[in-house]
Amino acid sequence: MVQYNFKKITVVPPGKDFIDIILSRTQRQTPTVVHKGYAISRLRQFYMRKVKYTQQNFHEKLSTIIEEFPRLDDIHPFYGDLLHVLYNKDHYKLALGQVNTARNLISKIAKDYVKLLKYGDSLYRCKSLKVAALGRMCTVIKRIGPSLAYLEQIRQHMARLPSIDPNTRTVLICGYPNVGKSSFINKITRADVDVQPYAFTTKSLFVGHTDYKYLRYQVIDTPGILDRPFEDRNIIEMCSITALAHLRAAVLFFLDVSGSCGYSIAQQAALFHSIKSLFMNKPLIIVCNKTDLQPLEGISEEDMKLVMEMKAEAMKTVLGQGGEPTNDEGVLLTMSTLTEDGVIAVKNAACERLLNQRVEIKMKSKKINDCLNRFHVALPKPRDQKERPPCIPQAVMEARAKEAAEKEKRKTEKDIENENGGAGVYSASLKKHYILSNEEWKEDIMPEILDGHNVADFIDPDILLRLEELEREEGLRQAVEEDDDFEMDGKELTSEEQEALAEIRKKKSLLIQQHRIKKSTAESRPIVPRKFDKNKEFTTKRMGRQLSVLGLDPSLAINRARSRSLSRKGRKRERSPAYDGGDAMDVDVDTPKKKLRARSRSLSLSRSRSRPPSEVTPGEGFKDSAQKVKAIKLGKKSVKMRNKDARNGRGSNNDVLQSSRQLPKFARSYGGSSSIRFFIRRFMVAASKEAGNAFWSDKFTFTSFSLPGYMLFWQF
Amino acid sequence: MVSLLSVMLGLPQGDYIELHRKRHGYRHDHFERKRKKEAREVHKRSAIAQKVPPSSPVVHSFGPPGSYVFLLGFDDDYELCIHFRCTLNRCVQALGIKGKMFAKKRYAEKALMKKTLAMHEESTSRRKVDDDVQDGAVPAYLLDRENTTRAKVLSNTIKQKRKEKAGKWDVPLPKVRPVAEDEMFKVMRSGKRRTKQWKRMVTKATFVGPSFTRKPPKYERFIRPSGLRFNKAHVTHPELKATFNLEIIGVKKNPNGPMYTSLGVMTKGTIIEVNVSELGLVTPAGKVVWGKYAQVTNNPENDGCVNAVLLV
Repeated sequence: MVQYNFKKITVVPPGKDFIDIILSRTQRQTPTVVHKGYAISRLRQFYMRKVKYTQQNFHEKLSTIIEEFPRLDDIHPFYGDLLHVLYNKDHYKLALGQVNTARNLISKIAKDYVKLLKYGDSLYRCKSLKVAALGRMCTVIKRIGPSLAYLEQIRQHMARLPSIDPNTRTVLICGYPNVGKSSFINKITRADVDVQPYAFTTKSLFVGHTDYKYLRYQVIDTPGILDRPFEDRNIIEMCSITALAHLRAAVLFFLDVSGSCGYSIAQQAALFHSIKSLFMNKPLIIVCNKTDLQPLEGISEEDMKLVMEMKAEAMKTVLGQGGEPTNDEGVLLTMSTLTEDGVIAVKNAACERLLNQRVEIKMKSKKINDCLNRFHVALPKPRDQKERPPCIPQAVMEARAKEAAEKEKRKTEKDIENENGGAGVYSASLKKHYILSNEEWKEDIMPEILDGHNVADFIDPDILLRLEELEREEGLRQAVEEDDDFEMDGKELTSEEQEALAEIRKKKSLLIQQHRIKKSTAESRPIVPRKFDKNKEFTTKRMGRQLSVLGLDPSLAINRARSRSLSRKGRKRERSPAYDGGDAMDVDVDTPKKKLRARSRSLSLSRSRSRPPSEVTPGEGFKDSAQKVKAIKLGKKSVKMRNKDARNGRGSNNDVLQSSRQLPKFARSYGGSSSIRFFIRRFMVAASKEAGNAFWSDKFTFTSFSLPGYMLFWQF
Repeated sequence: MVSLLSVMLGLPQGDYIELHRKRHGYRHDHFERKRKKEAREVHKRSAIAQKVPPSSPVVHSFGPPGSYVFLLGFDDDYELCIHFRCTLNRCVQALGIKGKMFAKKRYAEKALMKKTLAMHEESTSRRKVDDDVQDGAVPAYLLDRENTTRAKVLSNTIKQKRKEKAGKWDVPLPKVRPVAEDEMFKVMRSGKRRTKQWKRMVTKATFVGPSFTRKPPKYERFIRPSGLRFNKAHVTHPELKATFNLEIIGVKKNPNGPMYTSLGVMTKGTIIEVNVSELGLVTPAGKVVWGKYAQVTNNPENDGCVNAVLLV
């Protein structure tokens, strides 16, 4: 949808201003400092930029002019013709064409001079070329000065054209000058058109808006038309003709029956017949105005005949739209704008006929299918004569009726107040809506302070409930304990057997614990070093004892373990003695070849000795050996695996609850805090697996643990 | 501003100010204000003239154009003139390009105004009528003498020839600045090591005939860059006082030397031959002249075009 708004066209500056704008822009927005000593390429670039920039600005400005002015061939024919009538199409096109030519010329000039600037060999030459280029561009603009002035005038006039939408619902008023067209538009719209008692008061199109059936109608007042050949008509009349020719509107042909406009009915009828080709396919209404001066019935026979002829002509438009030939209402209407007699009737008739016509056209058009496709009205056909009313159960009906009755009946506090003496006398009782277990308590007086204590502090509404819960819990726990006892003691075991069982169980639990510890220290994890082994559990003594219990000779193993710590260092460098017989195997033997080893080492040392790591070799980039040592140390440190020394870190997830104080009391009572922690963790993991992660909300409390049976279940 | 169109076509719908005036008349102090504004205009203008701000928005609008008409309409309005002259004398020149532009504009306006005033003055002042003496008029005391006429009548063609001979070297620019070789040519280096310096590039505008083909680069001593080649010139006919864009036929003579002539270099003062067939000049014998000489009057390499004066 094209918006016909000519108000947005930018101002066209007159030729001289145009040049000033562009040149000052070049001056402001390109560099201004240049020196003879600069490299020639820089000088050339400096001036080329100026030439290019000026050209770009000219191009931009001229392009806006060319683009913003409407092309008469592209816009709606109404506007095309109107602009042609007002401004002369040829002149308009010529002016725009000149602007276009100027744009091309300037581009060409810039191109030529940039090319010449490439051969510039001095500041002076480059500068003269730039001056010449800019000068020639300005000359071009100076030449099109008159065109620019013309376009500016047109722009100003176009901005003041009424904004007529050629496609909307339109009512067009036409007729001889001074027949009351402007008075009518003033009556039905808020367009403040000048009304004067002489001909051609209205010299251009005026637009106003009116409402009918919640739709907006555009009413156009046109200048008067005289009955003369088409070529003789002046610009003012041509505006009307253009509007009549191109707007699909309801046409109101105004007829001054009194003849006070200075033209007889015969003249007006002649005009009607000469322009009736313009009314084709449009709802046409003949409006007899100024009935206050001369009622329609009072005119002479001949005039009446003329009017009837016109009416017949207008009826054809009705027939053309598929109306009935007998329906002649809304074709010839009388009114008086002075007394406002029949004005609204005319407006309504025009709007109604226009609306009908538009709807009809739309119904006939192809587009209607797109709309109709979306409609679907389902009307089930009755399959038999049986009546099938909607079924509402009796109970529902009754309930509804009751509800309605109740709504009406319900007594409000206000009613009660009014019954008991009105405001100020009656005070509403707040106690009567209390919900208590005993109705009689409602009116009881309750003290706020009792024995120096605030009673409210000691109120616990569900104390009984909690008591009950606790008791139930206790009962359950007792039952479990009894159960356990029964299980353990139920079997008849001898004391030896019992001992053995206890031993087995102890061992079992120990194994489990050890296994778990082992599991937690997986391969890559740092091992707890000896110094943190506070209990000194893993000693050679213990190992010997255990081995002897198993019936093995521990001495070899102990020796090996002891030697191991020492031998590690030596082993790295150990070489097989070359000349000492083939005893290369280093095995656990009772007599270590200490001497031999020492000798072999010394020999090997003397034979080949690699550089000490701290020695500085050229190319490594170290200042001295101290620096190198330091660097090596740092390097080693950085690649070392961190030993956390059995401390807890942020990443360790081995416990959830840090201290036993965070646990509920009952949980603390069972076993040590650490074991309980473990169990709780196990439990939570299992529970979360069952219930999904929603279980892990902040609301999670230990109420679930109040059943010790669960705990035990999870323990084994 | 009410444009011509709106005067012709009456009030457009949006012209609410005009409509209001038509209905209710002007504001009570409208004319008073207008008069004052006009009276104030000169002061404002002089203020601007003395200090145009660097980006003054009102540089090009010094009041309605009607105000000049008003001034010029009265013959005895000397006061304003004197006022202008005074302001000019004690005026501090406004700075910058805007100031210069303003000063130039005012200068032109004032010159026009003075001329107009002088014209009006002329119409009122009386002076002796000084009719032109008719050709061949003789004072009364010589009326009885007989005039002698030359017996020998030179034929038209001979006259023409003499004239041509006499004015052969009589050109509009008789003296030109000599152009040195190093200004005319730029030394081009060649060879793999860029050590050979026998090539020259012409740095001035040149004319190269349409049939010219370049030599192979190996043998090409003088390069005439295509960017600096011209084949059209703006030629002014001194008698017609009109300028035509004519095709160049050839370079007749370059005052700097025959080498430049043969290279077709066009510097200031060079005589070129142009195609004047468009002008429709005719020889005394009735033949159409198509080639004529013209002298270059500008430095084409600096201006980007060749301007010349036709030698007639």
